[in-house]
Amino acid sequence: MFEYEFMQRAFWAGACIGIIAPMLGVYLMLRRQALMADTLSHVSLAGVALGSVLGLNPVVYGFVVAVIGGILVEQLRRTYRTYSEVPVAIIMTSGLALAIVLMSFRSNLNKSFSSYLFGSIVAVSDIQLWLIACVALVGVGYFFVLRRPLYNLTFDEETAQIGGVRVRGLTFSFAVLTGMTVAAAMPIVGVLLVSSLMVLPASLALRLAKGFTAAIVMAVIIGLMGIFSGLTASYYINTPPGGTIALTLLIFLLVGIAYQRLRLVLHKRRARTSWGKVLNEQEYQNKGESHFEI
Amino acid sequence: MILSSMKNVVFGYGQAPVLNGVSLDIHCGEFVGITGPNGAAKTTMLKLLLGLLKPWSGTVQLNEKALDGNKLRIGYVPQNVASFNSGFPSHVLELVKSGCYSRLGLFKRFTLEQEAVVEQSLKQVGMWEYRNRRIGELSGGQKQRICIARALSGEPNVLILDEPTAGMDQQSRIGFYQLMRHCVTTHGITVIMVTHGLEESNQYLDRVISLEQRESEEWQCLSTSSCSVRFGPEHVSE
Repeated sequence: MFEYEFMQRAFWAGACIGIIAPMLGVYLMLRRQALMADTLSHVSLAGVALGSVLGLNPVVYGFVVAVIGGILVEQLRRTYRTYSEVPVAIIMTSGLALAIVLMSFRSNLNKSFSSYLFGSIVAVSDIQLWLIACVALVGVGYFFVLRRPLYNLTFDEETAQIGGVRVRGLTFSFAVLTGMTVAAAMPIVGVLLVSSLMVLPASLALRLAKGFTAAIVMAVIIGLMGIFSGLTASYYINTPPGGTIALTLLIFLLVGIAYQRLRLVLHKRRARTSWGKVLNEQEYQNKGESHFEI
Repeated sequence: MILSSMKNVVFGYGQAPVLNGVSLDIHCGEFVGITGPNGAAKTTMLKLLLGLLKPWSGTVQLNEKALDGNKLRIGYVPQNVASFNSGFPSHVLELVKSGCYSRLGLFKRFTLEQEAVVEQSLKQVGMWEYRNRRIGELSGGQKQRICIARALSGEPNVLILDEPTAGMDQQSRIGFYQLMRHCVTTHGITVIMVTHGLEESNQYLDRVISLEQRESEEWQCLSTSSCSVRFGPEHVSE
């Protein structure tokens, strides 16, 4: 498999995006923005269409428009504070509508558009590979340097602001990074499945990990494993790589959930006999006592 | 020394103001209780004091420096903070340590003294034994206590607490008021606390600010001069 240059490139691109996308996914999920990636991929599609219509590089335009979309979502989130899903819906439909209208100006666009919709990692170009590598490098640096303010922001925005975190700057830079990552990940799994690279590994890691750093590391490992095994499977069974990667990650998630359920059942069964005794002891100890001490 | 000052503050969410013409001063080292019925804009007042909301008119000033000349450190426990996402992937110690991040900046490592402060904060709220538990496994009252420990671990000069005793039993509430009184008396921390349980907390507070409704349905704080100033046991001699 690795004798082909396109497969080598596919694995490199997968490795870069497999590091940054699940990392970002953990933060997106905790900030209740799991659909952000989906939204920005639709917006990015409008950028690709715009680039094609103007006869300019669609990759670059898709990238720039995704970043602008991220900023717009963040700006709208401030207007609709109580309903954080509303800006996502507004920008998603706007992006898709714009893409459809722009596509109608060029009748020969449909074929190249299918590669954006469904992804074609094996056809990743040099410029796309460099773009993905740069985004991954910037993203890893961003999350390492700002890990403390990002933790506080993710836990609670208000207390973070009072603790000295520059919330506005941080949320906007986060939105920009999300846009960049989505645009870079599009060639791998396509517009329709881009959020699977972010949401599925993060969903499993958040269920299994005990700590915050552990969740991020676990999400990255799951993401990389899913991408590599999905790519390998798609090569040997001759299936579309984007869909195969997404399905592999979905299988990982289902196995993870089943494993967790099984462990819980076994734990309950083992503890059933001793629980009553322990609870009674604790109740007795806590009765009439304050938890606070000076 | 005045820590925070509000002068003729008017603020509202819709077209009508919810706070109208509020003026008050909060001094350093005071234990202040803010009280009033539901909808009296107590939380709004705290947010105005913290600069999270901007008043329509009037001025809100909060000293940027503490008595020791260093930058003022604020510990804030918002209302219902214990209802945070129970799936948040953190254990208790990790969350409480994050209260020190504003002091540490981006790269500084935890010193032994800071580790000791974190440990003490957790012990003060009776959660040290739970330090390795995932926060999703804790009860509402326990979550509330680790949020208080998180605020304490940042070694604040000012503690701003919005209904911090929600979900606590009576003995814990009394224990909490005693701890806050100790923080004020021994460490000189200013504590501003929104509370409904005035009958329990009254004896520990230095001053009570109560918000009362006027005929026009706007809420107004009794001005500092007419505010009932109540001294706790340590201040009787003053």
